[in-house]
Amino acid sequence: MYCRTLYATFRRNFIIQLRAYPKDFFIGNVLTAIYIAISAFFMYHLLFNGQMKDSFAAYAGTTDYVSYVIIGNCMHLLMVRTLLNVSRSLITELREGTLESLMLAPFQRVQYFLGNMLQQTVTTSGEVAVMLLVCLPFGVRFSGFNGPAALIGLILSLISYFSISLILAALMLYTRDTYISQNTLFAVLFLICGVAFPVQYLPQPLQCLARGIPVTVSLEIIRNSTLGGMGLAAQTGSYVRIAVMSAVYCAAGFALIKRVESAALEKIFG
Amino acid sequence: MLIAENLGKTYETKDWSGFLRRKCTQVEAVKDVSLEMQKGQIIGLLGINGAGKTTTIKMLSTLLQPTKGRIDVDGLDGVKDAMKVKKRINMITGGERMIYWRLTARENLWYYGQLYGIENRLLEARIQKLLSMVGLSDKQDIPVERFSKGMKQRLQIARGLINNPGYIFMDEPTLGLDAAIARELREYVKDLARNDGKAILLTTHYIQEVEELCEYVYVMDKGAVIVQGTPKELALMGIENKVLCLELNENHELLHASLTDACMSIEKDCLILWDDKNKTYTITSRQDMSGIVTRVLLEQQAPFRNFYHQEPSLEDAIIKLSRRGA
Repeated sequence: MYCRTLYATFRRNFIIQLRAYPKDFFIGNVLTAIYIAISAFFMYHLLFNGQMKDSFAAYAGTTDYVSYVIIGNCMHLLMVRTLLNVSRSLITELREGTLESLMLAPFQRVQYFLGNMLQQTVTTSGEVAVMLLVCLPFGVRFSGFNGPAALIGLILSLISYFSISLILAALMLYTRDTYISQNTLFAVLFLICGVAFPVQYLPQPLQCLARGIPVTVSLEIIRNSTLGGMGLAAQTGSYVRIAVMSAVYCAAGFALIKRVESAALEKIFG
Repeated sequence: MLIAENLGKTYETKDWSGFLRRKCTQVEAVKDVSLEMQKGQIIGLLGINGAGKTTTIKMLSTLLQPTKGRIDVDGLDGVKDAMKVKKRINMITGGERMIYWRLTARENLWYYGQLYGIENRLLEARIQKLLSMVGLSDKQDIPVERFSKGMKQRLQIARGLINNPGYIFMDEPTLGLDAAIARELREYVKDLARNDGKAILLTTHYIQEVEELCEYVYVMDKGAVIVQGTPKELALMGIENKVLCLELNENHELLHASLTDACMSIEKDCLILWDDKNKTYTITSRQDMSGIVTRVLLEQQAPFRNFYHQEPSLEDAIIKLSRRGA
């Protein structure tokens, strides 16, 4: 009863996705992720000759570069898709001509955004699972897998991605732009949050910036729980950090959306 | 009852007036609009493009916040209680927007029903009732993208009624539809007001629709209501000249001179036109010429088929009133 907008939006998006992109979209996403994994594999074996600097092991907590990059890319895919789906939801409604009818209804925004996110999470989880299976022959190994720690880390990661997407949604709605804002953000997050290499290699100011973004903490937690074998207790500090950051981003995101939404509606409907 | 009092909407537009300087301009889109909607009544909101009709409707439907004035919907404040007001109102527009093309008709109504928080059992019954009302029961499981324009518009009506609103705002609902479907839609609208007791506010550019449907009309121009009344009252307000038509059975040579003399004696610059093909006189004047024309007809014993005042047209009246302005 209380989550009807959430469930309805989840179901609506699922039906639309099945009708609009039956297979090709799914396959396309899996293939993109696999290309990235394969390029990491060849880079490690052909370019680095299977050798990493000692500093890599010290910063990353593992010497397994291929697994490090593949896990980083899986989480990056989850993040990109969550951000895309949640933050573009209102602007998509505008483009499809349904924003007016949506705004006429007395629905809760948080449920609407969560519905969008959950549908995407389900689809992307399938893509990530397929991607990991395909990457097994290339040497991806969960050498230190801790199930509960990884599960909690994954849930907190999704919440943190959701919180960032709210801020991006406000930005997109205000500028009525999707491509420039989203692609800039994704490129920045890929470069500074430790998707392909530890953040410690970055210059100090960028490291400070990276520490303020929940994606960096999310990647640390997932890698520590899948490659480093760290349990819940050992990562309490990281869990608290990501939870606090998500709460701050969520609060800022909802406040921004509330403010931007009325201004945007004035622009759109006025 | 829905009451709007002194509604106003001012926009601020910013334009570059120099290299780094932006000039703010205030545009008053709606000024002091007051209107009332009662259950079971269809009200027309007319005016030329840019008159402020759509902005007014969007304020009434909570999509835009008025910068001035008050909206009261059954005792609820249209701005402060917007979430409660949304449950009592809905909007139907022309065109093919406001519905999800990749969903079926049934799925569309189900989704909107969920957004309005309608109980599942009630929602299912309402969906079936609405689909049957708009004649889409047998097409309910087909994605909307395969619908014709008329079917999409009918689904729009069903969507606009999903929350069983007391007040419905219709913004050019028959835009782009062919005559047969437009007529069908007008019948739905009539039914909604007369049988279901809905209050409907209709904006349209088709005057025939207003004459057929509306009991009361507001005419807007440059953001303000310039005149209001029943369609008949408005038509009379717009006319400055009276038009008298006299249809003869055959040519009557003597009549022309007598008629011209008699009419000119009352009003020097009256206009008398003779249509030889239809054998009809059209006399346009500020004063009523029926008395003098009757006298001339009796004097000349001219046989005639018909003799009547031409009905004032609402369309002409609205154009004239809009041009004349407040």
